Amino acid sequence: MSVNQAVTLKVENIHKTYSREEVLKGISFEVKKGETKVIIGPSGTGKSTLLRCVNRLTVPDAGRIWLDGTEITHPRTDINKVRQSIGMVFQDFNLFSHLSALDNVRIGLIKVKKMEKGEATEEAMRQLARVGLEDKAAAYPAELSGGQQQRVSIARALAMGPKLMLFDEPTSALDPELIGEVLEAMRDLAESGMTMVVVSHEMGFARSVCNEIVFIENGVIVEQGPPYLLFEDPQHQRTKQFLCKITELYGKSERK
Amino acid sequence: MAKRKMGLVFAVVVLMVLVLGSGVISPAAEKKVYIVASDISWLPFEWKNEAGNYVGFELDVMREIAKLEGYRIEIKDVTWSSIIPGVEAGKYDIGASGVTITGKREEVVDFSEPYWKSDQAVLIRKDSGLNIITALSEGRTVGAQKGTTGADWIQINLIEKGVKVELKLYETYSLAVLDLVNENIDAVLQDEPASRASVAKEKAIEIAGIIVTGEEFGFLVKDGDPYGLLSKINEGMKKLHASGQWDKLVAKYFGE
Amino acid sequence: MWNSIPPLLKGTVVTLELTFLLLVVGLAVGIPLALGQVYGGRGLVLLSSIYEQIFRSIPALVLLFLFFFGSSFIGLNISAFLSAVLALGFRSSAYQSQIFRGAIQSIPQGQMTAARSLGMGKFQAIRHIILPQALRLSLPPWSNEYSSVVKDTSLAYAVGVIELVREGRYIIVRTFEPMIIYITIAVIYFILTYAGNKSLGYLEEKLKVPGFETKGRKE
Repeated sequence: MSVNQAVTLKVENIHKTYSREEVLKGISFEVKKGETKVIIGPSGTGKSTLLRCVNRLTVPDAGRIWLDGTEITHPRTDINKVRQSIGMVFQDFNLFSHLSALDNVRIGLIKVKKMEKGEATEEAMRQLARVGLEDKAAAYPAELSGGQQQRVSIARALAMGPKLMLFDEPTSALDPELIGEVLEAMRDLAESGMTMVVVSHEMGFARSVCNEIVFIENGVIVEQGPPYLLFEDPQHQRTKQFLCKITELYGKSERK
Repeated sequence: MAKRKMGLVFAVVVLMVLVLGSGVISPAAEKKVYIVASDISWLPFEWKNEAGNYVGFELDVMREIAKLEGYRIEIKDVTWSSIIPGVEAGKYDIGASGVTITGKREEVVDFSEPYWKSDQAVLIRKDSGLNIITALSEGRTVGAQKGTTGADWIQINLIEKGVKVELKLYETYSLAVLDLVNENIDAVLQDEPASRASVAKEKAIEIAGIIVTGEEFGFLVKDGDPYGLLSKINEGMKKLHASGQWDKLVAKYFGE
Repeated sequence: MWNSIPPLLKGTVVTLELTFLLLVVGLAVGIPLALGQVYGGRGLVLLSSIYEQIFRSIPALVLLFLFFFGSSFIGLNISAFLSAVLALGFRSSAYQSQIFRGAIQSIPQGQMTAARSLGMGKFQAIRHIILPQALRLSLPPWSNEYSSVVKDTSLAYAVGVIELVREGRYIIVRTFEPMIIYITIAVIYFILTYAGNKSLGYLEEKLKVPGFETKGRKE
């Protein structure tokens, strides 16, 4: 995978405390343009929180974050503008229940990017086609399967033309048979050069497309490195234990 | 930013002063139209006829006086209990609703010369076999309109004197009469002229007797008579008597 | 009996006007009130709660008198009809805000999160994502509020508004035949309530989004 030298996302020394428990204890990492990073770790270690700090859905107690040179954590930054450059995909999909798939993808373009309706519709259809759902454009979220909903939500995020895509356990709420279609969409995205940060325990995906795995436990980065390194020759015992466990649970190979 | 806010505050203050001031500063010299308030459901003084017009002795007198004295009136139908408060609050200018002149009321409003003498009549069902004494004796239920001198009479001259009758109060006399007809109460105490009208309309009831109370009705205006209406009303009544028009109206509405 | 229909219909028109206007006032005040309670800061939440408490604790009749007489007390001269619209309207707004607040709060937080993550501002998200859903959810309970309010309008007679019940009373005073008039009035109120609820039900159908009632459940 070709990777540019430019740094798209820089996370520096993030701390976050929730009800007197420090969930993030100084996380720092960088994501270069076109890179795909997968963050793994036991539940409750703040992985979601970390992602939400990136687009400031959660405000970190300390630390700074930059997107392509703009400091996200700066109080005077127009966060709505920044968020247009960051796409986020959620575990619960969070599609707008009262809008069709097309409208879901379109609404950001029309209301936020102030695009013309015709242009927005074209772009939205393009994104839906990209995730293979152009024929479901008129369907409402309740009429779609989980996998389809998640793909629509990916299209929705992509339509905004983001520099960075964040995935917060995108397949954790899906039935096993539906996971494959979502992972495929994500893989295509990664291969097309999108900069991505993914929180997931889908190891097959991690092994095949990501540049680096980041293992977080107890609020700190225990170990990080390219997949083959972490799987074959991890530095820490804990890393080895964890990887073994999830490989055991979720399998080594990708599901189709 | 601050300047605009200041301007807005200033505008609001000016607006408030104008609004509040309009009620306080305006001299009460003359009005275009005076509001006559009446509880228009008391035959034969005021009621709404089949054609949908407000008719009745009292209303016609008001209209004639207004014509004679050269001012315009608008007759408004209001609840009995809101006539005096309404006149006091300036919502209505004249009260004309068979209001008996009492000391208590004179403390709050100003009355014209009395225009009608009335006693109280005791109404009973024809088949009840009661007379004026037995109808108002222990164990009987007597009805009257709330806030009227009839109701007061029962309270003061019977109940407070130890005669154990039950006083039932109604929003209007017509409801009391209906209850009498339906055998829910034994008697109704109502001003004589209206009682005669009730008996004429409702064949099941009759007048058991008259209690001479020597009550007098007056038209009422706000304490202090800010528009100088009382002199006009009194003058108008004199003129009506002199011209014979008064007697014509009496004959029209009270028959005989 | 038949010639009592025209005046009763006149009264019905007034009742309808009153109902419509006061519901509009209730809506115009109730929605911002609900938004203030859900999205506002401490101060706003407190103020909205106080407002709500006040207007829900005072009997409608008392409110009518307060507005009618109170207005002249502060130098404003408003008509009986207007004071009825305002008194009953503000009262309805307190109940309506409860309805909307419940609806807004029942929408999963993820909807707002997703909207914000697209770059929508708070008000944009409320306007395009939250309110369309909340208003749909509010229709059934709002239909109840309508039914309630239609009947409350009969209290307006107390400040001198000539609505349906008052028109009926004029006739009874004249004819001494209460039953037939009251039955007719009851039938009219029934029709008003039924027709209103039916129309709102129709609106609900038209605005229906497949699977919307079951939203909130995951696949």
